[in-house]
Amino acid sequence: MVKNIGTGLIALALLLCPMVLGSTDVFPYDTKIEKLENGLTVVSVPLKNPHIISYYTIVRSGSRNEIEPGKSGFAHFFEHMMFKGTKNIPREKYDDFLTELGAGTNGYTSDDYTCYFVVFAGRENLEKVIKTEADRFINLYYNEEMLKTEAPVIEGEYYSSVSNPGRRLYETLRHQAFEKHSYKHTTLGYLEDIQDMPNQFAYSQLYKKRFYAPDNSIVLVVGDYDHEEMMEFIKKYYGGWDPSSYELKTPVEPPQEKAKRSHYKWPSQTMPRIAVAFHGPAFSDEKIDKAALDLLAEIGFSRSSPLFQRLVIEEQKCLAIYADFPDRRDPPLLTFNAVVKQEEDLPYVEQEIFNELEHYKNEPIPEDKLEEVKSNMKYSIARQLGTTDGTAGVLAFYINLTTDPNSINRLFNLYQKITPQNIQEMAQKYFTKTNSTVVTLSGGEE
Amino acid sequence: MNKQYGYKSLVFVLGLILLTTTCGKKPTANISTELLPLEDNPLVCIKFVLNVGSADDPAGKEGLSALTFRMLSEGGSEEYTYKEISQIFYPLAAYLDMQIDKEMTVFSGIIHKDNLEKYYSVIKNMLLNPGFREEDFIRIKTDHLNFLQKTLVNNMDEQFGKEILNLMMYEEHPYGHNELGTMKSVKSLTLDDVKNYYENHFVQGNLTIGITGGYPAEFSKNVLSDFSALPTGKTPERTLPEQQTPEGLRIVIADKNTPATAISMGFPISITKSHPDFFALWIAASHFGEHRQHLSHLFQKIREERGQNYGDYAYIEHFIEGRGKFPATNYCRQQQYFSIWIRPLSNSNRHFVLRQAIRELKILIEEGIPEERFELTKKYLINYTKLYTQTLSERLGWQVDSSYYGYKDFLEEARERIPKIKIEEVNAAIRKYLNYENLYIAIITQDAGSFKEDLVANTPSPISYSNPNMPEEILREDLVIQEFPLDIKPENVTTAKAEDFFKETGIPLGN
Repeated sequence: MVKNIGTGLIALALLLCPMVLGSTDVFPYDTKIEKLENGLTVVSVPLKNPHIISYYTIVRSGSRNEIEPGKSGFAHFFEHMMFKGTKNIPREKYDDFLTELGAGTNGYTSDDYTCYFVVFAGRENLEKVIKTEADRFINLYYNEEMLKTEAPVIEGEYYSSVSNPGRRLYETLRHQAFEKHSYKHTTLGYLEDIQDMPNQFAYSQLYKKRFYAPDNSIVLVVGDYDHEEMMEFIKKYYGGWDPSSYELKTPVEPPQEKAKRSHYKWPSQTMPRIAVAFHGPAFSDEKIDKAALDLLAEIGFSRSSPLFQRLVIEEQKCLAIYADFPDRRDPPLLTFNAVVKQEEDLPYVEQEIFNELEHYKNEPIPEDKLEEVKSNMKYSIARQLGTTDGTAGVLAFYINLTTDPNSINRLFNLYQKITPQNIQEMAQKYFTKTNSTVVTLSGGEE
Repeated sequence: MNKQYGYKSLVFVLGLILLTTTCGKKPTANISTELLPLEDNPLVCIKFVLNVGSADDPAGKEGLSALTFRMLSEGGSEEYTYKEISQIFYPLAAYLDMQIDKEMTVFSGIIHKDNLEKYYSVIKNMLLNPGFREEDFIRIKTDHLNFLQKTLVNNMDEQFGKEILNLMMYEEHPYGHNELGTMKSVKSLTLDDVKNYYENHFVQGNLTIGITGGYPAEFSKNVLSDFSALPTGKTPERTLPEQQTPEGLRIVIADKNTPATAISMGFPISITKSHPDFFALWIAASHFGEHRQHLSHLFQKIREERGQNYGDYAYIEHFIEGRGKFPATNYCRQQQYFSIWIRPLSNSNRHFVLRQAIRELKILIEEGIPEERFELTKKYLINYTKLYTQTLSERLGWQVDSSYYGYKDFLEEARERIPKIKIEEVNAAIRKYLNYENLYIAIITQDAGSFKEDLVANTPSPISYSNPNMPEEILREDLVIQEFPLDIKPENVTTAKAEDFFKETGIPLGN
């Protein structure tokens, strides 16, 4: 017999199914936005079906906010401290609450934001989750001893990926490419700053006061709940959170005036790597610069691109080649990466990357290629939005950039308007030799 | 219960149906299926699950399964080159993923239903009519060699530690090599080896096809009809040798220049998900070391109380992290193992933390799970498992695993059984299946020789803290841990250079 599992057996965790591709908006769900008097933004996406609720708290502070010397990695460190509990709900009780709930919970820190999430089943648990989360954001308590015990964990986290040459290349690239902006360091921070974290209790209190405030935070709720009821809970439990009004002034990165390069010698054998980076534009859902370059990255460096096919599949010089164009609040690096099979091929691969960029500067991209990329992007985002938590994760990212959940639709509508000429102009504007930083990494003797 | 039990209930014979839909040579289809139609869902997930893995690699040709199956997922078909496939897939945002374990290999893809027909027409030929081109073979074989020689040993110490533990636990056993093989064996593989292996193993009797999402009714029939063109054979049931329990503490130290020490330890256990005792032992393991959760007792003792590293966990079966922190599916095995994963920590504290982890295991075995933790852990598992099946791929994956281990729905079964389990049953399972005196221990560190001396001599291993005011009870416990005796005999400790691993099967001879 063919085993056909009827819907009666799969009532648990029904999947979302409201995507209608072909409509103009890639984000198809009804979204509500409210703002409390203390400045806390609440984004709500009530969904029918699966008994899952994703409850995200987005603090718009990441390694971008680490503008003072010696404080790299602090946003990430503070994310760890956020799990230390309060006087009302000490750490052990907080842990036990989430454990009993069987919640998927964690936090992550990025360049621009820190995100905390609790994913759980059952709308009857929503009020308890809101109450508990509000308490830890408003009343977080830890003493100096607790901080000193947690700080070495960050060093342990650093060690978890210490054997990864990709991370070292990335650290070197950012350090080399940026002069003033806090994107100079990675989210994890410099090792010497990590090792000094046990001594930073006073700064941690200042950091909390500046950034862990309702006017710098967004609560995002996605899933199976009643919006009005949810908002009542939010107002009840977050109303007493005092705003900060702190204004961050990130250092402005001066224009790069000459090409930079460096090489990192990995102590043991490894696949050689190269990163070719350019200072690019900040995220925008209105200006075409970044959107046009996103399309170029796909056309020129995705798996179906001519360069990938030639270097990876045909000539077999590279294990992988890909572009990394992150969306950031301030201008980030646009990076082309390759993992190369033989060290002697590093100069060739570097030249091929520059040649490819020259090609896009000199010739407009064929219309049919552009349509393929737009199709890929449409179906890729549809896949990501296939579950409650997938939807929350995607939305959290765009909310961090602008605080507006409509950004995602504006961005994808902007992509639709980009022409081959736009892409050519942006390639000419950003991919100049003087704006470039090249970092290579190779290993020891075989 | 072994895997045959699970499959017996599923294997079906299409027989008459296919006689009407196939032409020419008409094989009798003998393909298992897992079908979960979700009419309104815009996505479709399809999995081709083979009851074959690296345990089926012929002796001397370790890595053949992985190389063969990657030739299907990342090589061309007879119809299209891999370049052409990439170009067809791109506008559809499509992939054909492949994962391989010891006894199971899965090809899977998720596609919008707009593109299902086009996608399927390509993957059908990738799997049924592979191109087996020389240039694809060279590319993939070179990738595998590079991974074994450079990446695994030099760039991912946590995984390296787990792989050494595997080598130790499964010496002279079909599980006892990395899925990609060894440097020596992969170098020896030929394209003819790949073609022969495909012909003999990509056969109906080894295959389960799973489909879920918003696919049209006739789609599943068409897929079954197409794949009924495969030969009707089945790889003979794998008879695995009895698992080897170590005698005493057996240690392998891979020596390399590193500031951090990675540790994995464990031993084979005699049960899998299919055994009734699994559920009680699962409660114990979840309490003791739930993966990346504060619930983990080891995490609390080593990281939260002492800040030693990023995390410390324990498992009662082979564990691969999937989406989020949830367990990945379709790594089913007939034999499983218990393990503890100590994430990298400062070299200076390696001896202390090794002692601490083994001492905590001893306490668990001797004292059992605390009453209040028992109830908490049960509630946790009942609720947390509700999050395991959020995506199409996860749901299909769990359905395949349920069938493998003989359940209609393993997660549902767990939620029914766990509330009824008594603490005495958990503690009995702990005592029956776990031990702290006979362990395989894999360590990646530097100065392996001096560490070996410390281990054998039971040298005290005090540690210091940044916090000058550590709680008294922790400092008192530290005094016990730093002297905790480990009965390690010098002949049971092998040290070897990191770069000597994976050249050939087994543990390098070392020093």
